[in-house]
Amino acid sequence: MSHGIPIVVYILASALATLIVRLIPFFGKRLGATTPFLDRCMHLLPVAAIGALVFPGAITDFQARWYAGLLGVLAAFLVGMKKLPMIASIAISIVVTYLVLVA
Amino acid sequence: MKHSLHQPRERATILTMYPGYLSFREGVKDGFPICVGYFPTAMAFGLVCRKDGLRLWEAALFSLTNFAGSGQFLAESLLVGGAMLTELVISVALVNLRYLFMGAAIKARLEETGNLRKFFIAFGTTDEVFSVSTMKESTLNGRYMAGLQIISYLGWCSGTIVGFIIGSFLPVALQLAVGVTLYAMFSSLLAGAYLREGAWMLCIAAISAVMNSLLVVLADIGKGWAFVISMLTATGIGALRPSRVQEES
Repeated sequence: MSHGIPIVVYILASALATLIVRLIPFFGKRLGATTPFLDRCMHLLPVAAIGALVFPGAITDFQARWYAGLLGVLAAFLVGMKKLPMIASIAISIVVTYLVLVA
Repeated sequence: MKHSLHQPRERATILTMYPGYLSFREGVKDGFPICVGYFPTAMAFGLVCRKDGLRLWEAALFSLTNFAGSGQFLAESLLVGGAMLTELVISVALVNLRYLFMGAAIKARLEETGNLRKFFIAFGTTDEVFSVSTMKESTLNGRYMAGLQIISYLGWCSGTIVGFIIGSFLPVALQLAVGVTLYAMFSSLLAGAYLREGAWMLCIAAISAVMNSLLVVLADIGKGWAFVISMLTATGIGALRPSRVQEES
């Protein structure tokens, strides 16, 4: 299974590979000066990440009932637009997804 | 004794003087949905480990030391599939490439912090921690990040152990429905960004969502690459448009 190397070595090697990537931006030297364009990039990165974090996962996770995840995500967005706490968005989203799945 | 009596009052004063100052408690509150969302995902990881013949302490060690969803699932499958150690390290680093950019965005919003705290903040950088923290309007600090990351970490590690020991106890439909938690959280964060900064935010998110879907489903390139390419392209396109703040100044 692991070429005679103990499993724990694999687990720790994976941890180290993850940790190094995470440490670089916090401890690495900054490259060059910032420009207004790069500042805007830093500001927009979270929103751009969200798109790719939700899709296609929210559809493919639910396989045949792909629309269940889509409706759940839509419900969360609409509740979020009402400025209700995030936990309300999530609770309503779970209920909507569940109802679509069992319907 | 005198010191300990005065400390809470001093802290309270700091919090009243700077209403935007984020506390540990607020971090825990914001991290609670992450914890709820991580639990079933980590349970699935625990279950996969047991099916593949790993021991409980090995599954737990995975989550305790890696604290990374997709990276962990990948590492576990490579390990079970008999991959070489170097192959595992390179693959895991590539899947986690996005943390380079996410970490930079957190650091840009973080107040001056000691190295030890920075180390722990870096260790606890996940997709969800990144999204929740960088969407805050206040400057981030070590206390808030600790609250946010500790509760998320607890959800991830405890879920792994519970999943390994008792497997999935929820009915399939409910288990799938709970799986929408993290997507719902991101969607709610996006609604907040739309309310604050307008429809351009939705356009940027849509560009990255469509691109990632095309790359993953049609082009079938690795998920790690697809994510980084989509995120950076959408960011670059979004930043071509001067921000409102700059137009006004």
